[in-house]
Order: sequence, then structure tokens, then C-alpha cells
Amino acid sequence: MTDELEQLYQTTYTAVVRFLYRKVWDADRAEDLAQEVFMRALHHRPEKPRAWVFAVAANLARDEARAAIRRKRHLTLLKTEPLVQPARTESPDDAVEHDEELTTVHEALAVLTPRDREVLLLWDAGLSYPEIAEQTGLAVGAVGTTLARARKRLVDAYERQHPEASQRHAAHS
Amino acid sequence: MRHIPEEELHAYLDQALSRSQCVEIESHLAACERCRAERDAIAALRDRTTALLSTLAPPRRIAPAFEELAARQAERDARHQHRARNFAWAASVVAALGIGWGASGLMQPAPSAAAPAVATTAPQAPPATPRTVATPTEGAVPETPVRLAAARPVPARAQPAATRSAVRAPAADDAADTASAAPAPTRLAQSPRRPAMLEVSSGRLPDDDLRPDSGVWRTLSLDGARAETGIIPTRIEGLPIMQVQVRGGQRPVTVVAQQLKSGEVIRTIEGPAAEVSSLLARNDSSLDRTPSTSPWPTVAGGNASASIQGREGAMTLRRGDRILAITAPLPSDSLLAIIRRLNVETRGQK
Repeated sequence: MTDELEQLYQTTYTAVVRFLYRKVWDADRAEDLAQEVFMRALHHRPEKPRAWVFAVAANLARDEARAAIRRKRHLTLLKTEPLVQPARTESPDDAVEHDEELTTVHEALAVLTPRDREVLLLWDAGLSYPEIAEQTGLAVGAVGTTLARARKRLVDAYERQHPEASQRHAAHS
Repeated sequence: MRHIPEEELHAYLDQALSRSQCVEIESHLAACERCRAERDAIAALRDRTTALLSTLAPPRRIAPAFEELAARQAERDARHQHRARNFAWAASVVAALGIGWGASGLMQPAPSAAAPAVATTAPQAPPATPRTVATPTEGAVPETPVRLAAARPVPARAQPAATRSAVRAPAADDAADTASAAPAPTRLAQSPRRPAMLEVSSGRLPDDDLRPDSGVWRTLSLDGARAETGIIPTRIEGLPIMQVQVRGGQRPVTVVAQQLKSGEVIRTIEGPAAEVSSLLARNDSSLDRTPSTSPWPTVAGGNASASIQGREGAMTLRRGDRILAITAPLPSDSLLAIIRRLNVETRGQK
């Protein structure tokens, strides 16, 4: 009975960490939460573990965001930290460029409505249309529409904020 | 001619459509250049989105082993269970010890008379005294585990046992249900939560086999036992460990001796069913060294609780081909509570 969950863990853990990272923006925290999610799954033994795992991850991330807002209210002298940790293996120049790109994508993602963003992140995490529909409360038929809009908006927002990068991308392709 | 809506092309590329929908779309694409161009644009958009999102990934680290998570969760489950049962379990032990203390106070007014009992051998000892209970300070004396164990077993006589159950009746009113008087084991036996294979069996502590010089058993630290056998010997959390003994390699028998606050020793034995039961049986047969009025009663016996009270008891729990057993001079319902708790805590860690 452990087998199904273990298999899910092997195939999905990284996706869950990534999904959480895109919500809490802290790699360590994302890993802690992902492990928490799977430990809860071990306890609850959900019937549809994959959908369940992402639903719980989304809930934990939401709780986390609320807690973060509460913390910020108390920390009036919060200094602005760089959004992302410097990449480790790259040269300084590459690292700076990578950071910039990351920040831009992050900001582009922030432009989306919460629902569009959620559907996009769930899709990117590997969930199927029916799974996404169940988790977001959308009709299955509406998932394609939402994804179409979310994809377009993400790329548009990114290219607006980062015209050189999109030109570079155009040159590459 | 109807062109394919944008969202349908997304769904098509995302492989979210039925086989027949796909066939329909593909036959249209074959005939419609405009939709083919649209499909290519959407495919590019889709790839671009994936590429952008892929930059938003945390540094990749090695995931902890699934077993590690499972172990952490099992620990957490056990803690929750523990908290839920904490009262019942603590109350049963406290009641058992408290009753023993009260009874010994009544029967042995001079504490100094009880003190030497630990050092004397069983047959000469004043029979009615639950000795280790009567002298809690003895627990602090740096006795070796073997000596403590050697002093332990005494056949309780029927009459004092009856006296004690009379004495403990009022105290039991204050105690938790699990620790209440004579009918308790029978009631527990009817409880729907009772594990199917739970049984009270007779038993004496396997003193002879556990002597370090027996050559078969090895005395190790907890960590040593873990390193040697690859398993963590089953034990009761929160009690000081006096001794960890291991026999066998592949499917070892582990015996962990721990000390209750009163100085009494409780042993947790875990291993292959045949070995554990023969261990318990062998010690059972050694009963004839100390003539007893009756063999160990089973829990179903009419006056079982009275005669088990305060004496060496053993409780075994069968789990597949393994047996978990505890032996301690505690009432059977306390043993029952302890072994249930152990069972919950260690389940799934095999």
C-alpha cells in the first residue's frame, strides 16, 4: 500500500518542490513544505494521491503567504532582499543575467490573475486537465481556455518588461 | 468551414482531448492551412511558456529517501497516538505503582524492613511485598541490571494477593479505567479495539539466557544494536535503558531492559515468533525452581487479575511471524496498555 505513494514521491517530489517554490519563493521552505505534503499523504492515504498532493501543497503555500504577510506587518524595517538566491555554478556575469531573467519571469507571473496563474502552475507541474479542473473548481472545458489566456499573458508580460531578452529569443529561434 | 478554436488547439497540444476529438482536429488540420499556422503559433507559445517557467526553479537538491519521510511520519503518528492515550497509559502505571506502594505501606509499616528485600533471594523474601515498589530508592542504587533482575521474581501467595485487591479497591476509583480492579482484563478482552492476536501469556524474565556470559546474547548499546542488526530495538520511549541485548543475526531477537521510576525492570522482547515464544516458555518451565501455588493464569481466568497483580507478568503480541513481548511486574491491564502503545508506535517500521 506504500508502493503507490512511494512511486508518486519518486516521480513528483521535484515537481511539488518547484510548484511550491513558485509560490513561496524560498527553496528551503519549498522543500520543507513538499516533505510535509508527502508526510501528510502517508498519514491520510488519499484515493487520488497526485491531485491530493498538489491540492495540499497549494493550501500550505496559501497559509504560508498569509503568515508571511502577518510577519511583514510586524517588521517595519524589512530590507528588500534580492528575490532569488544567486545561481551557484555560473560565472558572475551569467549569474546576474540569470537573476534578471528570473526576476522578470517572476514579475510576469505576478501579472496573471490568481486563477490563471494557478492553472498554469498546475499544468506545468504535470497535472491533467481533469485534475486541474477539480482543484480549481473550473469546468474541464474551461481549463484549455484559461491555459490559452495564461500562456499568452505570461509571454506578453515578460516581453513587455524584458524587450532585449525577447529579441534575443527571437534571434535564437 | 469552422476553424479550430484556440483553446481546443491548446487542449489538443496538451493531449487533453479524447481520441475521437483528436481525429477530428487532425483531419481538419490536414485540410486547413490557417489552422495549421495557428497550431504552430500555439505550439511555440506553449514551448516559450514552459521555457520561461523553467527558469523559476529552485536549485535542485537530492530528495530525502522515501523511507526517511515514512519514518518521520510514523514517529509523528505515534506521538499523536501517544498523546491521545497518554492519560490512560500513565494512569494505569501510576495506579499500579501507587497501589503497590500503598499496599506495602499497610503491610510493611517499617520501610527499613523492606529495604533489604532487593538484595535477598526470592524464597526468603517476605512474600507479599512488591519489593521493588516498596523501596523506590533502590532504583537509584547502582545495581547492575542482572542483579536487579535476579532479585525480582517471587511467587505471590493467594491470600496476600486477595488482601491487596481489597486494599486497592478505593484507590482504583480514582484511577483510570484501564487500571481498575479485578474485572478489568475481562472488560478489555471485550473491547472492540483490542488487537486480534493479543494474548496474555505466562512468563518469567529470561534471566538465565540473558546473562552476558551466556555466549549467545550480546549486550550492546542502542546504537550498537542498531548498527549490528540494522533495526532499532523496540523499546518504550521515555524510560531509561538499562541494557540492550541481541541474539542472532539476520532475524535477531532483541531484548531491551528499561527501568521504571520505582526501580522495576520492564523488558521489551521482539523477534521471530518461534524464538520469542521458546524464550518465554523456557523461562516459564523454570517456575519449578520456586514452588508456586498455581501456574500463571490466563487473562480469561476468573480471578486472573487478583493473582497477576503485582507479580511478574508477560504480555505477548503476535505480528505476522514475529512476536512482541513485554515482561514486567505490573498488572496485566498495564501491560496491555503498554504493549498496545508499543504496537502502535512500531507498526509500519518493520
